[in-house]
Amino acid sequence: MTDTRLCALSPDSMASPFWNRLTETMPRERLDALHLQRLQALAHYAYDNTAFYRAKFDAIGLKPADIRSLDDFKRKVPLTDKSEFIHLQQERPPYGDTLALPLDLVAHHCETSGTTGVPLAIPYSMSDTVRYGESWVYGYWALGIRPVDSMYFAFGWGNFAGFWSAYWGARRLGCRLMSGGGLDTKGHIQAILRLKPTVLVCTPTFALRMAAVAAEMGVDIANSSIRFTYHAGEPGPTALPGMREKIERAWGAKAGELLGIAEVDAMAPGCPLGDGVHVNEMNVFTWSLDPATGREAGAGEMGENIVTGYANTTQPLLNYRSHDIVRRRAACACGRTWTKFEGSVLGRTDFMVTVRGTNVYQTAVENVLGQVSGVSMHYELVLTHEDGNDAMTVRFEPEPTLPPQERERIARQAADRIHQALHVRLNVVAVEPGTLPRFELKTKRIVDQRPKELRRALDR
Amino acid sequence: MTIEERIALIRQARQLVGAAMVGGGLPQIEAILRSADTELHWALWNLGEPVAMRAELPDPPAPV
Repeated sequence: MTDTRLCALSPDSMASPFWNRLTETMPRERLDALHLQRLQALAHYAYDNTAFYRAKFDAIGLKPADIRSLDDFKRKVPLTDKSEFIHLQQERPPYGDTLALPLDLVAHHCETSGTTGVPLAIPYSMSDTVRYGESWVYGYWALGIRPVDSMYFAFGWGNFAGFWSAYWGARRLGCRLMSGGGLDTKGHIQAILRLKPTVLVCTPTFALRMAAVAAEMGVDIANSSIRFTYHAGEPGPTALPGMREKIERAWGAKAGELLGIAEVDAMAPGCPLGDGVHVNEMNVFTWSLDPATGREAGAGEMGENIVTGYANTTQPLLNYRSHDIVRRRAACACGRTWTKFEGSVLGRTDFMVTVRGTNVYQTAVENVLGQVSGVSMHYELVLTHEDGNDAMTVRFEPEPTLPPQERERIARQAADRIHQALHVRLNVVAVEPGTLPRFELKTKRIVDQRPKELRRALDR
Repeated sequence: MTIEERIALIRQARQLVGAAMVGGGLPQIEAILRSADTELHWALWNLGEPVAMRAELPDPPAPV
């Protein structure tokens, strides 16, 4: 008989629906008081230890002691952007003047995926990696994943912070880890059949790609050992309900997702209700900026997520522009008081286009496409600029089983559905199945063909 | 055990770990104890305590 002391967590802890009930349900006033104390400490820390923030504060005559309220922090601390950090890193590799710790405390070098251009170098100390990983655990736990589970990582690691942080979280949770490493898609499926993990971690589109390849191999993957799938890196089951349905049906599993910003944190683990993500308010402080007015956007309004991270003390990020469009909500039926982003990220400020006066967000279009029968998961949104106006063309692969003569009808149907839902008419074109690119890391949905001067500086 | 009692015990544990860290010559033991202190600092952080940004730094004065 097993010694009851030899277990990952006590029965009381195992029965908890929260990873940390105390903080996840903490009253707003208490959370805000904690944020103020932590933001003040962080402002002092960043000012004292990095040339970058000292210069930035000094340039406007700001002292850390001037921050006496959350509003002070939002309004007085200058906004920062990825392009500044990349510029400094290119000037003086590897980290420029952004480092707050001596190099001998940098335990792990990661990078962003490079989706929007040059990858950003991200240094972490050992304790930063522990804190960062913790954000994943809130999400794992909320979905029902426990230390008794076994987790399969279907990715090739590299320097991508998203993958490593998923691993840091799994280490903290204490479940059994299995790495797919450099296997190809078929190899991953064979490894899952052989090792019998209960959790699959990968990008959401790769989960669907694996399911499609499994079907080609004659494998009934819906009846495999996988009971949960967990995703990040691109809009997934929370942002796109159609994708949730496809992943859950294909794998016979419950799908979860978190919103992460590689250089900040796995900052918002999925809500167990599946309709949004909760900001991990122990690791980050966030507020929303209305890009049109430059003022703070309130609850229920669309705005750019501005984030300050507590977890990365090696390269601190204060009032950092995420370029993610979110709509925040204060209360949630799941019991968490942590700010909720409805539907996770709704779009990107850099990829948002205004078509005949209507703002069109990537995920809004993707959500409609997911509801049109006959449209496969392979599609791209092509941004162009014609006659002084932005335009978006949807190019999609029909389901392979769809007769070729039906393709135009499905394209018209998709265009009509987009028109009904978003009040804008987009050009929707069916392309030959198998002709759009396949991705194993992050799927590139947006093809921005607008002139360089019309794109955000980072992407030029 | 109340939250306050738990917090007091963790603070006490940090003091003991800090005392055990004094004196060099055993890098392995120092590394282990530093790691222990980092975890204890992190526990206080996640109990909503006002602690420093990093375990190595002095905690801020308690709020009035």
